[in-house]
This record gives sequence, C-alpha cells and structure tokens, in this order.
Amino acid sequence: MADPTNNRTSLSERPKDMPGVKRNHDGAAKEVKASTSPFMPMFEAFRDELDEHHDRRERIIKASRDITAASKKIIFSLQRVRALKTDIPPKILSETTDRMALMQKQFLTIAPDLVGINAWRYQRQISGGIQEYMEAVSFQHYLQKQSLITLEEASSSIAGGVTLTGDDYVLGIFDLVGELMRFAITTMATSGSLPGSKDEGSEEDRTILMDLRVLRTHFEALDTTSCGGTGLGKDVEKKMEVMKTCVEKVEAAVYGMIIRGRERPKGWVPDLSDDRAPVESY
Amino acid sequence: MADATPTGMVDPRIFEDLQTKIDEDAEVREQIKVILTALERQGRSTQSILSRAHSTPSAQLKPVIESAENSIRLEIESVSKLSEVASKHPYYKYNGMWSRDVQNAITSILLCGWLGGMAMTGKPAEAGKLLTIEEVGEVMNVPVNLKDRDAFHISIEEYLQSLISVIDELARLAINSVTLGDYQRPLQISQFVKDIHAGFQILNLKNDSLRRRSDSIKYSVKKIEDIVYDLSLRNLVPKPVAS
Repeated sequence: MADPTNNRTSLSERPKDMPGVKRNHDGAAKEVKASTSPFMPMFEAFRDELDEHHDRRERIIKASRDITAASKKIIFSLQRVRALKTDIPPKILSETTDRMALMQKQFLTIAPDLVGINAWRYQRQISGGIQEYMEAVSFQHYLQKQSLITLEEASSSIAGGVTLTGDDYVLGIFDLVGELMRFAITTMATSGSLPGSKDEGSEEDRTILMDLRVLRTHFEALDTTSCGGTGLGKDVEKKMEVMKTCVEKVEAAVYGMIIRGRERPKGWVPDLSDDRAPVESY
Repeated sequence: MADATPTGMVDPRIFEDLQTKIDEDAEVREQIKVILTALERQGRSTQSILSRAHSTPSAQLKPVIESAENSIRLEIESVSKLSEVASKHPYYKYNGMWSRDVQNAITSILLCGWLGGMAMTGKPAEAGKLLTIEEVGEVMNVPVNLKDRDAFHISIEEYLQSLISVIDELARLAINSVTLGDYQRPLQISQFVKDIHAGFQILNLKNDSLRRRSDSIKYSVKKIEDIVYDLSLRNLVPKPVAS
C-alpha cells in the first residue's frame, strides 16, 4: 500500500514528472534508467512529424471553411441574376469577382500542403470547400453560358494546382441542381417565364427545365454501385433524391405557370416585365 | 428533347469520363481487396502462433518464434504485392483500405522481435528489443515515412498504432509470465512499457484515432505495475544480476 500513496504525493508535488520515475524496487540504478527513456530520440522525431501533419491539417480545414463561406456568398449574389446567357449585371459581377479572388488566395496558401504525396491525404478536410466552390463556379458558368462546366475547366480554374477529384466535381454538380431550381422558380415568379435561350440554328428557346432534365438523365445513368460505401457511393444516394425533388419542383412550377397561364386572356402578361431592375437591388 | 440539343447543356464526354474514372477506381479497389483477403488470413495465422507465447516459458520460445517468423514471411510477400499495386496510385487515396491489415502485420513483427525473433543482417535478435520503424521497413522490404515521392510505405501513425497493440499484448504477457513462474519478465515488460509510455507522452496528439488508442497505454502501464507490486510485496522479485 505504501507505494501507490507515495506515488500520489510525489505526483502532486511535481505534476510534470514522467511516469516511471522512482518506482519501488531497488532505488539507485532505477533513477538513471527511468528518467530518460531510450526511445526518446525516436519519439521526438515522431513528434516533429506529427506536429507538421497537424499544422497542415488545420491550415487546410480553415481554408476549406473560408472557401465554403465565400462560395455560399457568391451563390447568393448570383441568385439575384434574372436572365440566362447575358452579361451578369456589373454590381453582382464585381461582388463575385472579389470573392473569387479571395478564394483563389486561400487555395494558393494551402496548395503547398496539398502537393505530391499529400494530394489525397487531406481529401476529407478540403473536400467540403471544393464541393462548395464547384457549386459556385458551375452556377456562374451556367448563368453565363447556359452549359455545364467541364471537369477540366473547373479544375484549371483552381489556383495553385489543387486537385479537383471526380467525386468532388460530381457532388458539386448535384448541388448545382438545387441552385438552378431556386433560380428557375424565382425567375418564373418575378418575370412570369421560364429562363432559357436560343441555341445557334434553333428557333425555340432551350429552357432551364430542359437542361435540368438532361442533367437528371445523366446523373441517373451514372453507375456508382461499384463505389460501395466509399466516398461517392455513400453521398450519391442522398444527393440523387434531393436532385430529383429539385427537378420535379421546377416541373410542377412550369405546369402551374402553363395551366394558370391558359386562364388568362391571350397576350396578357403579368405586369412584371420590367421588374428586373428593382429585383436586382433588393 | 435532350437529343435535339446534344451539345447544348452537357458535353456528353463529361459523364463518359466520370463513368470511366469510377470504373477504374472500382477496378483498383478490387485488385487491392484480393491481396488484402490473403494478408488478413496470414495475419490471423501469425497472431495465433504468437499467442502461444502466453503459455510457453521463455526458455522454450524458440520454436514459436521460428514458426511466427515463417508466417510473417508469408505476410511480407503479400505486402510486397500490395506495395506493387498500391504504388501505381496516390498512396493516400487507398491507404484506408489496407492500413489495418498492415498495422496487424507490423504488430506481429514488433512482438516477434520483442520475444527474441526477427534477426536481421548485422543485427542479431535480442529479447526485449524494440524494432524501429526503419527496421520494420527493412523487414517488410518497403519504405517508411515517405515524403519526397508518392509510393507505398509505412507511415508513422501505422507504426505507433501497432506499437500500442504490442503494449496491450505485453500487458497480457506480464500476467501470464507470472502464471508460468517467470517473475523476471514482468519487470522487463514494465520497464519497456514505461519507456514507450514516456515516449507517447511527448507527442502532441490531436483528437484522432491515435489519441484515443494511446489513452489505453496508461491502463496497460497500471496493469503491469500492479503485477510488479504484487511480486515485490511477496519478495518474489529476482535480485538483479550486478551489471
């Protein structure tokens, strides 16, 4: 019993003592042996390595969070746009450009942490930010060109050569569908018509609903069963449901617009046609 | 509708390429899985051989060690196959798949080394010895703690995780040594584990799996200390040979 008691008092006197200092049997030789573990140099090297790793990890988590926040703000700004394939109003454009520049700075600061062998090491930490970035970049791309940004285009838009994985690209595009839905419904509510534009050599507008359906078709054709529970396989299931709901919401809204539109006298247009300017500024 | 404007919204290549990527990824996982199935089985077999150490007096350990070494050699063959496949791809992309099995292999090597096996060229085997991460790499014939190039290797985290498993095993061995009438070995284990524990204490661990598992070391230390206490209380501790 003497031993544990001793131990407790000596610990409270010198709380920083290493364990194993001055324990029972045979004093003298102990003292020297126990005070320095022969493995210390090895563990000191490990400590330095692990510290570097944790520092990198924390820098990346922070950058990822900042990139996510900036992307969300860009998306908010872009939701005030009211027409497809036209120049984005200068006020909105300057907002998004500023934020984009900030994000690129973030990417540049963490780029050295994400090269070579570390390119995939912090995937889980950076992936949230990159997906949100994908959502913002693809949304802006769609508003300007009414087409889906390619993986290569998106990848080269990221500063510092940070890897854009196929998984993050796809998951970002899934979220894009939600933004397109919001954009379509708001535009319909404020301007009374579905956004769209004419492709070269075609008479009819290609509407956002057509685009959403094309996206949906492609997503549904994507076979991710082989991914199992890893990364993509797990997330896709949930996102697929959300994506379908989004497309259906636009379909229902268009249905409503057409059926109620019929009841109106021909040529009657809601008195909202030049509502664009005020909407932009709210 | 979609067919009328094939290039309008979506460049069809986008999703074709994605599908290709997904399929290639699945193919790699499949290749790795085949190797891991073998490694896992060999790992279990080595562990069952090594657990005979708990019921074997240290003087008669030689056959156990030799048989464990043979079993470990099979594991090393699997690891070199794994290394070959894995080195074709980013290390951290698939690392999670094999990390546990590789840790088990390292644990067996460390334990076998501690028991007095795993002699290497220029370094005779010696009971009570801790193989360094470099020595484990040498035994397994793979690089360790790679930073300058992207290939298969043993990471520091994996080595440390394995070391914690070795400590768990040694705590059990301390008890069983007493049962076998060996009162010297618990003292040796006690010193060894304390030294390692001291090492772990200087690491700045974050709230990750290494942290959670390393918390268990102190319970092993305590378990072993209790044994030493029981022995010394009854005057069963052998007097050290003058050194």
